[in-house]
Amino acid sequence: MTVRNRHGSVWKKVVASSLLLFLVAATGVLFLDAYRAAPASNPEARTEKRYIVDNAKRETGAENLVTSIYLGYRAFDTLGETIVLLMAVAGVVRLASAGSGVRKKP
Amino acid sequence: MRKTDILDVMSRKLAPFVMLFGFYLVANGHLSPGGGFQGGVVIASAVILLLLAQEAGSVTTSFPLTALSVAESAALFVFISVGIVGLLAAGAFLSVFLPLGSGTTVLDSGFIFVLNLVIGVKVGAGITLICFHILEAH
Repeated sequence: MTVRNRHGSVWKKVVASSLLLFLVAATGVLFLDAYRAAPASNPEARTEKRYIVDNAKRETGAENLVTSIYLGYRAFDTLGETIVLLMAVAGVVRLASAGSGVRKKP
Repeated sequence: MRKTDILDVMSRKLAPFVMLFGFYLVANGHLSPGGGFQGGVVIASAVILLLLAQEAGSVTTSFPLTALSVAESAALFVFISVGIVGLLAAGAFLSVFLPLGSGTTVLDSGFIFVLNLVIGVKVGAGITLICFHILEAH
């Protein structure tokens, strides 16, 4: 009885794993397809990419194009991200030290 | 958990190199993959390695909580100050006001280098603070 149970659970695990693998592979194929189809169906994306590749180093002074976007063209967004990090740190400090004498009043 | 001599020695040997690699990632953020966020997390991981492998008191004397908090807050202040200087000097918030060089060496890249350093300090101090408080090292 226990052997059959273990056998059944193994088959369940195999089925679940293969289903998960199939889902991941299907999602990957779909995203890859969308990624390949995007520049052809969206000419604006292609021109933006071409503009950044051509002009980013001259305009922002960064050879790494990712850095030229997140600290050059989108630096304000990065400022927001650092504020989010500050809020997260403040929340963790408040919550983690809640039981260690911060709350003195009854 | 008991801290053995092997943990103690290996963490002391390894942490400076991890931290050096973090500063390398921050300083070369505009030239190679990496940048302030990634380099800051690597710097914080060096401190966390020391924290996990050694007694808590020795790490918090090297990296006191008040200094980390001040670094976290001052980095945001410097970031906003850079933005306001850009607003005054070049007409828009966070616009480029330092002269742009060739962009092929570390120091020759306008204010992106400054912003990367600031973000590296801020993320390193922030992640270290979070881990100090979660692991209750104080």
